[in-house]
Amino acid sequence: MKKLLGLLLFFAALPAAHALDGAQILQKVDRNLEPETYESYRQLTDIQPDGSKKVSVLYTMKKGRDKVVALFLAPASDKGRVTLRLDENMWLYIPEVGRAIRVTSLQSVTGSVFNNADILRIDYTAEYDVEAAEEQKDAYLLSLKAKTGEVAYDRLKMWVDKQALLPVTIEAYAASGLLLKTLRFSSVKDFGGGIKRPATLETDSPLYKGYKSVMQWSGLKKREFPDEIFTLNYLPRVQELRK
Amino acid sequence: MKQSLLAVALFAAAAAQAAEEPEFDASQFEKKPFEIGGYVQLKQESFALNQDGAFYKLGFHNRPQRESLDRTTGTLQLAGKARYGIGTFDFRTDSELMRDQLAHDHQTKIFEAAYAVRPTPGLSMEAGKRALKWGKGYAWNPIGFVERPKDPNDPALAREGFVIADADWISSPGANLQTIAFTPVLLPVSSDVNSDFGEPGHLNPAAKLYLLYRDTDIDLAWQGKGSRPARFGLDFSKNLASNFEVHGEWARILQLQRPVTDSAGNVTIETANATSYLLGLRYLTASETTYIAEYYRNGTGYSEDEFDQFYQLVDNAFATGNNALVQKALSLSQSYGRPNAGQDYLYFRAQVKDALGIVYFSPAVTAMVNLQDGSYQVTPELQYTGIKNFELRARLFLLEGGSGTEFGEKLAGRRLELYARYYF
Repeated sequence: MKKLLGLLLFFAALPAAHALDGAQILQKVDRNLEPETYESYRQLTDIQPDGSKKVSVLYTMKKGRDKVVALFLAPASDKGRVTLRLDENMWLYIPEVGRAIRVTSLQSVTGSVFNNADILRIDYTAEYDVEAAEEQKDAYLLSLKAKTGEVAYDRLKMWVDKQALLPVTIEAYAASGLLLKTLRFSSVKDFGGGIKRPATLETDSPLYKGYKSVMQWSGLKKREFPDEIFTLNYLPRVQELRK
Repeated sequence: MKQSLLAVALFAAAAAQAAEEPEFDASQFEKKPFEIGGYVQLKQESFALNQDGAFYKLGFHNRPQRESLDRTTGTLQLAGKARYGIGTFDFRTDSELMRDQLAHDHQTKIFEAAYAVRPTPGLSMEAGKRALKWGKGYAWNPIGFVERPKDPNDPALAREGFVIADADWISSPGANLQTIAFTPVLLPVSSDVNSDFGEPGHLNPAAKLYLLYRDTDIDLAWQGKGSRPARFGLDFSKNLASNFEVHGEWARILQLQRPVTDSAGNVTIETANATSYLLGLRYLTASETTYIAEYYRNGTGYSEDEFDQFYQLVDNAFATGNNALVQKALSLSQSYGRPNAGQDYLYFRAQVKDALGIVYFSPAVTAMVNLQDGSYQVTPELQYTGIKNFELRARLFLLEGGSGTEFGEKLAGRRLELYARYYF
């Protein structure tokens, strides 16, 4: 009888042992996308329905799960602008204005389909809880829920490549259930230092029909930074950190 | 099964779209030892002059009378940076060439030129001309103690700085006190240096302490007695929601002197402590319309009664043709005629991003109301930034208020402004 009970318990426990750990997958996605502390260059191309393009170039530094700074290097009209994110606080520094003002995650400092939350993205695990994880043929489908109302998107559906544990497609939804935008990762590239990840991210939005924006990475590598650079007072001299 | 097929389709779609943009190579954006940039701007202004206004009468005293004035201004602003070791020299110059039916003029100003050394990431020291910007207000900054006044009609415009020596110490203790930063400043005033700051012969100390505490920006500011009376104040800024920010400033000036006149031109210098403060908010809607609203109490300003006396003085001077009174009014016009010389103001601005479905097209409307006399200025605005490195803007300033009010007595009742700016 004891053996039968043990056998029953074993089989009962089997599904749990094989259950997907969505939180663990999301943690791996975070680290596979970027080291926790890194620098990178990004090009943002905003494409209008008539095919005309606006190109911005940013130098980005990230430290820990929730500190990001992005410095605009191009176009000339935006050069020297710096955005800082500390957790859910975001500021924009404009050299002519000479001081930083608070901005929101839903705004876009570039006028792009990418908003500030996309441009100054922190770890997914810092902003989202995994509500459900589902195994599909080639991908895991993670259903993510924002931890607070301050997060730009209330829910995400993230398709994760099963082999590489990298995101392929993300759908971002408002609290109302409205699809705000779709993000598509592609062009997996070896950046060196053990970083192999998509070099391109493209987005479009039903709210901006005909428009799309593309983000491309270059020079992504691990680098340590002191905490002091992720402060308002440091923003005017962020560009001195570039090597 | 349906979702699996969707995932496969999405992988395929992403791969197909990736080929559209050429690979990005950042090597051309490496840091250079010397950088220069800036903008050129051509501005055209048409003024409908307010011939009944006190400041028109003073401005056009002993000059041919006009109903309108057209002005063209060309501006070249250069900003550059040179790096060597731990030191950096940066500058910003502003050159203007102006012509209207009455005059033509040109001038070049060095807005900023300073050398800074940064021995550690948390410490910076610099000397030279620098435009410090203190405060959280959008249109006004009561705690802007060591800077030239902001133009509320163009709050984002670069301004000329003062010659100073300053330092910046930053620390990130963590927990609730996320950042602490201290900025001490020394500002000398002599007949040759910073002469417009105040009384010469002083080395004016000032300081600002910045805290990011529980996601709230807080500044404590102080300026010691010297060329100007001593003053101190504070500001704050906080997001109550991701799209809703509130901010405020408060400043106290000790023993401030200001000239006050009666209608007969008898001027007294009043000395009293002055308290100024500002409360504001910034709100972004889901359709990306940004609203900014601020209430400003200007403790250094003139009351409605004090303005009345000044306007009566101007009326008396021109009605009687008494040149001595005209000269007295002219000498007071710098004080009574400065921007927002009153005591209570409301500022409101609404700006729509990508209006009418046109990306980079941002119409806006701005209103400034003198709450004591009820006069106001409304400014509709159109802005387009869709051409690479170009900014195009058109604004129409509409001033209303009637006789004896601040905006009703200005030099111009209407102003149309058009400019094209090219960044390089």
